[in-house]
Formats: sequence, C-alpha cells, structure tokens
Amino acid sequence: MEKRNIKIEIEDKLHDEILRSNLERFSEQYPAARAKAYANVESIEALRDDLKEMKSYSVSHIEKLADQFQESLEKRGAKVFRAKDGEALKRQLLEICRENDVHNIVKSKSMATEEIRLNDYLEEQGLHVKETDLGEWMLSVAGQHPSHMVMPAIHLNRNQCAKFFSDELKEDIPSDIPFMVQTARRVMRKEFLKADMGISGANFGIAENGAIGLVTNEGNARIVTTMPPIHVIIIGYEKLIPKISDASKIMRLLPRNGTGQRMVSYLTLVDGPTPIIHEKNGKMVEENKKVYAILLDNGRLKAAHDPVMKEVYQCVRCASCLNVCPIWSTVGGNVYGHIYSGGIGAILTGLLNSMDDFAQFSDLCIGCRRCTTVCPGKINIPDLIQELRNRRVAEKGLSLPEKLIFQKIMTNRKIFHTLLRTASIGQKPVKSGKFIRNLPLFFAKMTEGRSLPAIADKPFRDRANDLFKNNPSSAKMKVAFFSGCNLDFVFPQTGESVVKVLQDIGAEVIYPQDQNCCGKPIIGAGDLETARKLAMQNIEALEKANADYIVAACPTCAETLKQTYKELFAHDRIWLERAENLSKKIREFTSLVEMSYAKNKRLKTTHGAEKITYHDSCHMRRSLDIYKEPRRLLEAAPGYDYVEMDGADQCCGMAGSFGMKYADLSVQLLNRKIHNIKESGAQTIAVACPACMMQIGGGLDKNAPEIKIKHIADILAENISD
Amino acid sequence: MRKVSHEWQKYLQKGFIDKKYWNDFKENAQAASVELKEVKNYEDAMPIIEDIIAGAEASRLAAVGGGESEELSRIYKNLGQKYQVYTDKFEIARNAPSVDIGISTAEFGVGETGSICVDNYSYEARVATMLPPINIVFMNKNNVVDTMTDAFEILEQVFDKGYTGFVTGPSRTSDIERVLTLGVHGPSRLILFAVDGME
Repeated sequence: MEKRNIKIEIEDKLHDEILRSNLERFSEQYPAARAKAYANVESIEALRDDLKEMKSYSVSHIEKLADQFQESLEKRGAKVFRAKDGEALKRQLLEICRENDVHNIVKSKSMATEEIRLNDYLEEQGLHVKETDLGEWMLSVAGQHPSHMVMPAIHLNRNQCAKFFSDELKEDIPSDIPFMVQTARRVMRKEFLKADMGISGANFGIAENGAIGLVTNEGNARIVTTMPPIHVIIIGYEKLIPKISDASKIMRLLPRNGTGQRMVSYLTLVDGPTPIIHEKNGKMVEENKKVYAILLDNGRLKAAHDPVMKEVYQCVRCASCLNVCPIWSTVGGNVYGHIYSGGIGAILTGLLNSMDDFAQFSDLCIGCRRCTTVCPGKINIPDLIQELRNRRVAEKGLSLPEKLIFQKIMTNRKIFHTLLRTASIGQKPVKSGKFIRNLPLFFAKMTEGRSLPAIADKPFRDRANDLFKNNPSSAKMKVAFFSGCNLDFVFPQTGESVVKVLQDIGAEVIYPQDQNCCGKPIIGAGDLETARKLAMQNIEALEKANADYIVAACPTCAETLKQTYKELFAHDRIWLERAENLSKKIREFTSLVEMSYAKNKRLKTTHGAEKITYHDSCHMRRSLDIYKEPRRLLEAAPGYDYVEMDGADQCCGMAGSFGMKYADLSVQLLNRKIHNIKESGAQTIAVACPACMMQIGGGLDKNAPEIKIKHIADILAENISD
Repeated sequence: MRKVSHEWQKYLQKGFIDKKYWNDFKENAQAASVELKEVKNYEDAMPIIEDIIAGAEASRLAAVGGGESEELSRIYKNLGQKYQVYTDKFEIARNAPSVDIGISTAEFGVGETGSICVDNYSYEARVATMLPPINIVFMNKNNVVDTMTDAFEILEQVFDKGYTGFVTGPSRTSDIERVLTLGVHGPSRLILFAVDGME
C-alpha cells in the first residue's frame, strides 16, 4: 500500500484553478443534460428497476454465466482463459504475445487493465503499447491517471493538453482543440495500422452467445477490434449478463447517465473470430482473426458471494455518482484510489485492491446520498461504504482517541454532558488538544472561513422544566422531545422554539432527561458495538416517557432513531422489537407540525416583506424524503415571502465529523452554498437541521453577515404569542 | 458479403417497424449530428452524392453492399464512371486507409436514440465505415423501430456471431475541455440516405 497524505493532496487540488473551474462548470451543467437525455422515456425508475434486477440476477449466477460465456466463445472459435488476479492475467497475456510474435499493441479503454496496471507491465516486457482513447492517451503520455471513469482528462485544460502533445510528438502543437484532435487522429492511425494485437475491455459480455459490447464515442474500440489480426478481450466477471436482450437494459441508461447522451456514437458488438483482410507474404488474404478472452477475478468472485457487498455489481461504470458528488466536483477524482474514483471507487478499491487503501480515503464520502438518486443500478453507495468501514473497525479497531471518547465518555451520559458543560465555561478545552477534537461538538480548526457558535451557558436540558409550565391544560397528544446534542448544548433557544410550536399545536411536551447522543457520529465511524449501547440507553429513556410521539428537530437524530436503530438490532430479536416500536413513534419536527397546520387550515400562502429561502439537509431530503413540508410551512409563515434557491439540496459541507477533518474542503462546499443563498436575494435562510445551521451560520457570519439563518422552529415560534 | 444475418427484414417485419417512429428517429439522429437526406429512390441520391464528393474534393471511394442490392450496385457503377470506386473486398482492404469516402448500408434505425443498426461482419464493411473521413450510409426509411429494447429484441433473434452494433452520428470526442470535436478516430461526417421506396 502506498502511504498517502490525503489532506495535502486535497490542498493541492483546492488550489488547482483549472481543475476547479472545469469541475464546477461540469457539475452545474450535468443535471440538466441528464434530464434532457431522459426526456423521452416514460419512467426512469422503471428502467432503473429493470437494470437493477437484471444485474443482481447476473451476480447471483456469476459462475454459471462465466461457464456459459466461455462455452459460447469457445464454440465460436475463441480461446478463453480465467485469471485469478493481475499476476495470472499478465502471465497469460505475455504467453499469448510471445506465441504470436506480437510487438505492437493498441488498446481501447479498459478499467480492469488500469486496475492491474497492465500497460506498465507490458512495456517492461519490451512491448509497444498505445492507449487509443484520446483522454487516456494524453494521460499516459503525461504519466497521469484518469480522474473520472468516463471523462478521464476532465481535470486538464487545452494548454496542458497541448504541452503533452508537444512533448510526446516532439513538435510544437498549438492549443487549438480541433487541431489537436486531428493530430491525435493522424498519430493514432499509424498505431492502428502497425498494431499486431488489439486489447479491449468490455462494457458487457453476453453469456448466451459470447458477444461483448463496447461503448465509445470516438470509435477507437471499433478500430482496435477490427484492424489488428489478434484481439484480446479482458473482462471482469461482473460484466457478464445472461442474454442479448439484457444489453438494452444497460444501454438505455448508461449513455444518458454517463454523458447526457441518448446513445453513444458507437455501440459495437463483437462475437467470436471475425474476418480480417491483410497482406501476407505479398498477397492479400482473408482469414479469421485470433480471439482470446481473459476473465479477470481479482477479488470479484469473493465479493459476488458477499451478501451485502454484491450490490456493487449493479454498477455499469457510468460514473454518474461522481457527476453529482459534492466532493468529486470540488477536488476531482485523483484524490481517491488510484483507479476508481468517487464513492463507487472507494468500494471497488476496498474489494478489488485493498482495505488499507480504502481506509485512506473512505471518509471522503460525506453520506449526502445524492448519488443514490441517480445511480442506474440503484446502488446504495453510502451504505456500502459504511458497511466496509464497519468491517474495518471490527477488524482493526478504532484509533485510540476515538475509542476513548466513544467507548468511555459518550456511553456514560453524565461524564459526557459534564464535559460539554465544562467546555461552555471556558470554551477553552474545546479548542486545544486532540482529545476533545473528536467530540461530535468540537470546533477547533473550524475557524477558517466560518465562525463557530459557542457552547451555550445553559443547555436545553436545564431549561426544559420551566418551559413545560406552559403545556396546554387539555392536550391533544403527548410528545417527548429528543433534542440531540446540538439543540441541547449549542442552540438551546431553538429547542425552546420547538417546544413552543409543539405546545401551540396542542401537545403536552416532556423531555426525558436520560436521553443521550443518538449515536450517529459513532455509527459513522463504524463502532457499532458502542452505538448499540447508546441506542439501548435512548430506547429505554424514550420508552419510559410513554409519549404518543417522539419528536426530533434534527433530521440526523430522527433518521438514526427511526431507521438506523432497527438495523443495529437486526440480529437481536428483543431489542429489534423495542427499536421497531420506538421507530413508529418518531416524527421529524416539520412534518408533524405541517400535518397539524394543514388540518387546521394554517397553510395559506403569504407574501410578507422579508424574502426567505430554504436549504435541504441531506438526511432530511434523501433519507427521510421530507422536503415539501418545510417549504409549505415557510410559504405560509407571516411576514415572509418564500423564494427557492439554486442547489437547495446540495450538501453544505458539514456532514458530521467530515467538516472538521477536512475543514478546507468543507469550506469550499460552504462557499458554494453561501453563493447560492446570496443569489436568491433572500434576507433569511431557513434550515431544519442544527448541524447545517451551525455550518451555514458560520459561513454567513464571515461572508454575508446581513443574511440571517433560522431554524424553521424559530420562524414558526416568532408568530406565536407567549 | 458476409453478414450476421441475411434475414433482417424478415424479423423487422414481425411488428417492430412502423413509419410513425420516423419523426423521433429524425429528431434524435440530427441531434447526434447525423446529416440526414430523405430521398424517394436511389436515383435521387446520385446528385446529392456528387455534391458531397465535389464539396469534399474527394476522388476515391470505398463502397460495400452492392452485392446485396441491385440499385446500390447501379449507383456504384455510375459513380465509378467519374471517380475511383473500390467495391472488391481486397481492394477496399488495401485502400480504405487512404480513400476519401466510404459508402455502406444500415439495417434499421431506432426512434428513441437516432441510432442505426449496422451489420459489419465483413472486414471491408468495417474499414469502409471507420477509416475514411466521410461515411455515407443507405437505409430503408420504413425500417425504424421504437426503442433500444425493441432493437435488442431483434438482435436476440438474428445475432449468433460476428460483428454488429449501433452507430449514432460521427466519431466524436469531448476529452479536451469537454469541447465537442468530430472525427477523432472514425468519420467526422455521417451522411444517412433514408430511401423511401426501398423494398
């Protein structure tokens, strides 16, 4: 494993202006391009379901399909080999080269060969190898690696490209794009004509007839599989599909999702040896090409039998998960693994490369779940990453400070809360030392580009009893308030607003004092054992409250209580039942209030003097699927005029501990958010998540202090008389 | 000429093709930079081809598919009187890297995407369509299917082995600054003649 310093790499990328502007432009244009490409299909969801179903069937029959694919190809005259890893594949390929006296090889894009660094090996063996995809060729000349699976050179500009051209060709190539493309055509054409072997990957391999499908816009794969007398197919097991007609299930989604095209220029289907006409001993002859296929395992079969991780094989390598990823679109693909980038890349690296490599950059997934809304194969990428993190922790344990904090402090509510109170007195211990840095509420190193709220003098839990004097005398329902750490210790006034609004809709509100942190930071770090302890404490505390509903005004807490606890106890029948009963009572604050307001006809749209907009928290929007309710509440809030802003559902960059570990990167996401808020013209930005409130509030304070940030509870409370 | 199937038409007529898909096909093909020429018959294509040749200052052509179609064969013969037209597979193989225009055929179009399905089992068809800077293709205008799902249903029936696939516009790249540039490896122009009166 290469030991890398990801933070320094990220720092570099953040200062790469070319990369930054290329990615920013692309990520702005992508959603509309994708939507346009899908405009003529009846239901994207139906296509995604078809693909998912077909691919998950395929992976569960992977050996059978491999046998069938091999048999089909052999019957048609090809030779088929299987390689258990990169070494075995290289040996096999070299033997084929030696046997056929091969010297010059042209290649069309294959991620599998990148994965095993095949080109380096072949060149070491004295073979002349040329990538023929323009982007891949430029990168190979530059000694760089692709930063995206579909757009490998998206991080470069025309001047950099011209330099690579000039260096390679020893000519002065101007940075004129059509001229460079024509130059590439001229140079590569020579390579095609002299090549004695073509190596291709495969976007899919069809078991029933042995055909492979190759998807390109340039058409290089078509020439690679046509002109040289030998064709070697290098294909990962996961690319196999049962039938010819199954290919359409991939092809209706892959180009639309990948590049916003309804179809790529060339979808080539090659099956078995095909004729070639070439000069032999001074005479033109027609004969069949030699075709070899090598099925690459390299960890694939093991993952295919993993009940959780096998989901990753619903991937068709469209890379749309990168296109919508806030991290990728800020720092590009090279900070991830060496080959596969983005969230899907983290998973593939963990499965196909090594868990040590995975662990170095797995926390670059901030769990915002945008990728899950576009993935053609409906892969729950953040969940698979989390699963790998959990396994890593189960195997290797946590780092020492994390272990101490999670296992010794946070599970003991009294110690934990005493520490937080101490922090509020001095605000000093918080800012120094590694120890406190890992608390969910610590703010050291977060000062660049944003200000930080102080820990409140008096936490919510100490204010609660006074508030409950105002409970309605004849209550319609009994609500237990789960504050979560942020509303308890950082924004207790918002906690007060929550209570006021709930009382106003007729709820008797209580606050179970034994509640603790919901456990999300611990779950995120992969320490499920400790998380279960916290979950048990909370389940017990909340059960005792005997309430009709349990309300959280933090979507992350709501999600954890409602969904994650059930997953934590999936194998514990008794606690699972208790978690399920709890889950039924959990309500996210705005959704409960909106329902009551709707029932009591309090949702009349108003146009007040002050413009207000809304930011969707990732967990609220994509895990809880709550986004209409807060907007309806704001549209009806007296004194305000609701406007929508661009990129409302894009992550603000807080994302739990991510915002602290990668402070600089987090600030970049924040700046984009602040820009969009300003553009909307709103004087107030409303949120429904205290963590977003902390992050965006800090950014506004530094960059746009004239704009206010408020939790929806605060806005609603303004309109309720005491 | 060697083909994946000599019975495409038989399968296409099993309820897959319909004239009503033409407008979708036209819109999507043009969006993919296909230069679409609707003609009533082969004869009408002649003057247009001559204009293309003149405009491109072309003189040498590689032409495939004449063996399967008398009309096409007649076109090639007529063109052969004014230009150098290679129709023999060995001649095509030898000259494809240096000819100006390749002429070929497509089996059917796909409305959803503007793609054409090409049967390129023979080597000469592949080099004639990929190596020259211009590719002229003839297709029966009535042979358009609705979706890619339908297209693959047809392949499910006819594709046993060989070389086929779909072409959707000319060769393109956006690898430098995502600027769309045509003609990187294959043709920079794909000119499709959709012939109305084809059998």
